[in-house]
Amino acid sequence: MTTVMLVDDSATMLMSLKSILTKAGYTVETAGHGKEAMEKLAKGVKPNLIISDVNMPQMDGITFVREARKAPGMRFTPMLMLTTESEQTKRNEAKSAGATGWLVKPVGPEQLLGVIKQVVPGA
Amino acid sequence: MPLELNETTATLSGVVTVDEVEPLAAWLRITDKPKVNLRRCNHLHTGALQALLLFQPRITSSPTDAFLATQVLPLLRGSSGGPVLPESEPP
Amino acid sequence: MNPLLAQFLAEAADLLTQVDEGLLQLERDPGDPELVNEVFRAAHTFKGSSGLFDFPELTRLTHAAEDLLDAVRGGRLALDSGMTDDLLAAFDLIRGWLAHVTAHEQLPASAGADAAGLITKLRAPLGGEPAAAADATPARSGASTIDAAPDWLDQFDAEWLEETASWLVTTSATMRFVRYTPDEGCFFRAEDPLHLISQVPALAKLGLVQPAAWPPPADFDEYQCLIGFVLATRAAVGELNYLFRYVPDQIETVELDGTAIRRHLAGEAPATPVEEQMAHVAEAVAGNLELARDAYDILAAAQRSLNVDTPSGPRLAAVAHSVSAAAAALGMPVEAGEPDLESLTARVSTLLDSAPPPPEEPVAPPPPPPMAAADRGRADDPGGQVGTRILKVDQEKVDHLMELVGELNVAKNGLTFLADAAEEEFGSRVLGRRIKDQYSGLHRIAEELQAAVMDVRMLPLSVAFSRFPRLIRDLSRRLGKSVELVTEGEDTMADKDVIEALGDPLVHLVRNSLDHGIEASPADRVAAGKPAAATVTLTAVADGDAVIVEIADDGRGIDPDKVKRKAYEKGLISEEELEAMGDTDAVDLVFRPGFSTADQVSDLSGRGVGMDAVRASVEKLGGTVTMRSQLGRGTSTRLRLPLSMAVTQVMVISVAGQRFGIPVDLVVETVRVHAAEIGRVLHQEVVVLRDEVVPVVDLARALDMPWTPDPAADRAILIVSLHGQRVGLLVEQFHREVDVILKPMEGLLAYADEFSGTALLGDGLVLLVLNMKEVLNLAARAQ
Repeated sequence: MTTVMLVDDSATMLMSLKSILTKAGYTVETAGHGKEAMEKLAKGVKPNLIISDVNMPQMDGITFVREARKAPGMRFTPMLMLTTESEQTKRNEAKSAGATGWLVKPVGPEQLLGVIKQVVPGA
Repeated sequence: MPLELNETTATLSGVVTVDEVEPLAAWLRITDKPKVNLRRCNHLHTGALQALLLFQPRITSSPTDAFLATQVLPLLRGSSGGPVLPESEPP
Repeated sequence: MNPLLAQFLAEAADLLTQVDEGLLQLERDPGDPELVNEVFRAAHTFKGSSGLFDFPELTRLTHAAEDLLDAVRGGRLALDSGMTDDLLAAFDLIRGWLAHVTAHEQLPASAGADAAGLITKLRAPLGGEPAAAADATPARSGASTIDAAPDWLDQFDAEWLEETASWLVTTSATMRFVRYTPDEGCFFRAEDPLHLISQVPALAKLGLVQPAAWPPPADFDEYQCLIGFVLATRAAVGELNYLFRYVPDQIETVELDGTAIRRHLAGEAPATPVEEQMAHVAEAVAGNLELARDAYDILAAAQRSLNVDTPSGPRLAAVAHSVSAAAAALGMPVEAGEPDLESLTARVSTLLDSAPPPPEEPVAPPPPPPMAAADRGRADDPGGQVGTRILKVDQEKVDHLMELVGELNVAKNGLTFLADAAEEEFGSRVLGRRIKDQYSGLHRIAEELQAAVMDVRMLPLSVAFSRFPRLIRDLSRRLGKSVELVTEGEDTMADKDVIEALGDPLVHLVRNSLDHGIEASPADRVAAGKPAAATVTLTAVADGDAVIVEIADDGRGIDPDKVKRKAYEKGLISEEELEAMGDTDAVDLVFRPGFSTADQVSDLSGRGVGMDAVRASVEKLGGTVTMRSQLGRGTSTRLRLPLSMAVTQVMVISVAGQRFGIPVDLVVETVRVHAAEIGRVLHQEVVVLRDEVVPVVDLARALDMPWTPDPAADRAILIVSLHGQRVGLLVEQFHREVDVILKPMEGLLAYADEFSGTALLGDGLVLLVLNMKEVLNLAARAQ
């Protein structure tokens, strides 16, 4: 059972990604910002993949990735950033913070599911 | 279980992820003349491949997975000296 | 509606408010990085979500706004009021679009045309679209795509290389060769190079790059990636670029034909000077980092433009031109051939690939970026509302809940009737008692439930105030006045109906203040010894069951004499009143229908339908309006409104056998007097109460209902107070007070002004609640 954690302050984005993932048979955990996501990780949620927005209140996506990498069991977990076309520098920052890759909004089902297959072996 | 470790034989099956790398390397380190069965392995994490390259165990059974069999197994074979048994050997 | 779209629309409303507020604050405090960030984030989220739907204009417009904000955020641009205007206009346009989307689930047909001008304006401060090509572009030569064979080709098995080369020569085909050198720490970004390679389409051969020296087994760190790979594939460059897009810095791709491979095998030097070119890049980068960075930015911008706008014609030529200029600056001149979208896109990505982004801070060590600091502050902020869960509920659901509470109240009230019936009709006092006990238990729960629902409906006054920064900004710019808005007590809570109903009267009052209250120009103010900028203060305070909202300005105030004269000229007051009226009453004249103090009616406050409309709408909410003014010092208008209007307490009375409700707020007392005590002054019946003469209105007559009171019986008179005036209402009988949910009049009765609404009683009876002001008007006319 592959669990995907979605972190985004946009309820619309969460809703759209969640529906794609749920239909594809993934278990989905959501959080509205980095802090909430960290709390979930601290409570023992262990996703096989994290997909996080970059710009969020409370804790932005890049800080979140950096922190999440330190959370127990998250050392090798694939983490993808949700970015826009223009966020080239953010992607590089995210990579150095420990992100595996990124998705470009808007994220369609093919793109999303394709990337999961690409970064999660056996997903 | 992706990783089954016996006295002299490790059986790798399914998706061998990064989580298996550490126990596999530890086992290879302490095992004398280790043998590794890859027959039912579908994916080998790069870290696991690296450990196999370094410790050069005998690959007792080649994988059925096409990519591993055609592209990865030759790398293990070609690496200086690790003898690989014939592919037809029974599991 | 598709739930995702509904969710987007709900979120969009919040984002729009956030952007509006943020922009206005920013204009005042342009340096605040956190504010810029907030507005940027809202615009950004907007753009991101808008892409989920087929609203390309919306995406393009938010994209332009986002880019502008990003430049402000990055300190490359200072936000001026022109930009703020454009940004506000953009989000206004979006607001309009979304209203259309709400109704029709698509953007208006004019969206593209409406957005075009704004997009140009928004992009103008960023240098506009890439510069137009001035000179003609030279013709293109047939450029070869074959690269020189790199050294790492040795990692492949020589025999296999030989075979492949001859096959490629025979077939005049090419193959792509990739060298993948993973970072040592790549596992810690969850990268698995072998997994990625297993996904390379049409993989022909995989080769291993072993480390120069393996560490001794004891020192081996299994989490450090020491190996690399080379691979040969028939997959297209585009496929490879996509697959390896997260690790471009670890990848080197070349396209080789059989000849190139053979040259390599023969140990010959490469035929094409690619490496020389690369050296140029390095030189250019080292020699002039700034130029390189600019060039890189231009390429990145060109790529964005190509991807997003898919330009054609002269625009495409312009992009092509800037690309070749940038390429030249990077020391990698390209033939700027006849531009076609595909080849240009490919060229740009090749250039971007071969020219990695130059380091951001190469020369002078600049101060740490302020945004990063702000972000850190945010992330570490121990406060904030971690874990608070806000549930967004459709207003209709809360309204429905409130209706149910109302019906519960009604059903509960029915128990008292049942208790009475038990006693009177069935003669069981005990049962009556029990029912009443049951009633009081139910009553307590119903009250708590009602309070809870009311609490859900409570909104802070900031909701009503939020539109004013914008309104005042726009109005003051239009009027050429300088006005500061101060708001206080925005946290004060009131029922959402009150907040909503407060909107229009407040807008009216604020407009009035700006239009008439504040001096015509800052110079006039300075001449009067005041600061050039006027201040309008919006204050809210809770006062028991009421909320008081005050709009105050420090403008020229109201001249009571002028008001009185005007009222007299308009025939609103008599000559005696003109003489005798005090200043306070004079100011109150502005609320008279048909009064307007402006010498010239402006387009802002309308035409004389000003303050009387305000008073009428506030009174309809059960509130009051008073105005105080000091000539030369300013004016303040005070609205007093019930905190909630969902539940109204009414006194039930009956006349001519029919029951009516009267808002308890108005009731002063109930009295019974002998018929003989009712006197007559002129044509008006009066009663003397504690030495005060109170006019008495026969309610049955006013409502045109036939009724003749029993001459012998006492008269029941309800004393009400309206605008400080006491009036007695002659009724048939007093009943009890009840809490009712007042509903507006519907159908035929909607035009009956003497009723303010209907309410359902516990016994199923529909109670008409009287609008006392109109009833008294009717009575005055009836006489």
